[in-house]
Amino acid sequence: MMRVSRKLRKWTATILDLPQDVALDLPRITMIGGLQLTVENHRGIVHFSPDTLKLAMDGGEMEVTGRDLVIRNIGAEEVFVEGEILGVQLHSKGKTSG
Amino acid sequence: MKGNWVAYARGYVWVKLIGEGSERFVNAATKEKIDLWHISFTPARELTFGVSIPDFFRMRPLLRESGCRTRIISRHGLPFRLAKLARRKTFAGGMAAFVLALFVLSTLIWDVKVEGNSAIPEEKIRQAARAEGIYGYQWSFRLGDAATLSQRLALRLPEAAWVGVDKRGTSITITVVESTKPEDKALEGPRHLVAKADAVVTRIVAENGRPKVERNDRVRKGDILISGILGDEKNSKHVVSKGKVMGLVWHEYRIESPLQSKTRNLTGETRERNYLIIGNRALQISGYGGEPFGQSQIRATIEKVRLWNKELPFGTMKEHELEVVEIGKKMTPAEAKEVGLAQARAELLAKAGKDATIKAENILHEQTENGKVKLTVLFEVEQSIEVERPIP
Repeated sequence: MMRVSRKLRKWTATILDLPQDVALDLPRITMIGGLQLTVENHRGIVHFSPDTLKLAMDGGEMEVTGRDLVIRNIGAEEVFVEGEILGVQLHSKGKTSG
Repeated sequence: MKGNWVAYARGYVWVKLIGEGSERFVNAATKEKIDLWHISFTPARELTFGVSIPDFFRMRPLLRESGCRTRIISRHGLPFRLAKLARRKTFAGGMAAFVLALFVLSTLIWDVKVEGNSAIPEEKIRQAARAEGIYGYQWSFRLGDAATLSQRLALRLPEAAWVGVDKRGTSITITVVESTKPEDKALEGPRHLVAKADAVVTRIVAENGRPKVERNDRVRKGDILISGILGDEKNSKHVVSKGKVMGLVWHEYRIESPLQSKTRNLTGETRERNYLIIGNRALQISGYGGEPFGQSQIRATIEKVRLWNKELPFGTMKEHELEVVEIGKKMTPAEAKEVGLAQARAELLAKAGKDATIKAENILHEQTENGKVKLTVLFEVEQSIEVERPIP
């Protein structure tokens, strides 16, 4: 059932030429150099330390690595991170991708 | 963190989170829509963040759930400022007192101006205004509105045609328009009009009182022309008689007119002399050379030095000397007679009043002797002959 609705949504997005994040509720990541990072559509914080920030996402996790990370602002939908960002990694459930 | 000033107005605190499970707490806070900002770690690896005061109190149940404790690092914003102010009672009191004093002083009337009066003394207007409550250091809320004030002031000042009261802030301007009054008439007692000379009445107009004579009546000096007593012996009333009586009056004039006349004329030759004045002494500066003219007339102007309003005992004097010649003129007896008569006429008219006219003149006697023409002339003059006499 979930699979059908998901396919339908994907098909609608292709037909109507909509951006995938709107249609599929995927996280949208905006990064300004290595300084600022905005993540929309996250599903909460999994881990936070000055060096790493792990965010939960639909079907996986996202890991931001860096130094002196600061969550400037956090809302139900978006996180605004500042600091010296060194890497962003996406972990799908089960496997790792970079 | 919504705009800086909103956060400032609501007040916010920097909080240090102590304990494990900070991620759980942050997630729970996000779910509850509690706004946290600037979540960061101190070098001692403690989580610090900013949160507004209302959100801080909503946050406390979540803390219990996640097993963390908080410690407030610093407080910011208006609520804390006010609390601090409330602790400094004298300062807060002074601030309130200042505002209060400003308000109280602005409700006072500081200045009362009076404008437009010339005959009514200002002191009287001020007195009337004071009686109506308009004076310096009066509460302005104790005054009525300008319209009623000006009406009541006008009642107190009957000499004024219009009184306006204009209140601007803390000053009041009273504008007065004075009514023009007719001049007071002198009081008059009951009186007759009597003749001031022997005359023949030519015209009589009685405005008030009873005329006693008619046209062409002969009257003697002191006769009553217009009586001020009305009624008969039993019922009588004294009035102020008024009116105009013209009559023919005869004046006899003796005129002596010389055949030789002398006039002093200016030739136009002048000479100027300047003096320096010190005290009551004059030092001649220019115009030396003795007395150049046989007969002369001197006109002097003195100018003293003034220092502000004080006159100093120094100055200059300027003298104009004008040459004068005497011109003698010989006249024929006829000319001398004419000159004499003309002068007599002028004198007569000046004496008899401005509504007098010369009706006739008869030369009774004419004689030329010792270089003079002697004349006796009888003038017949129509003039007003009434004069007032009070009724005792």
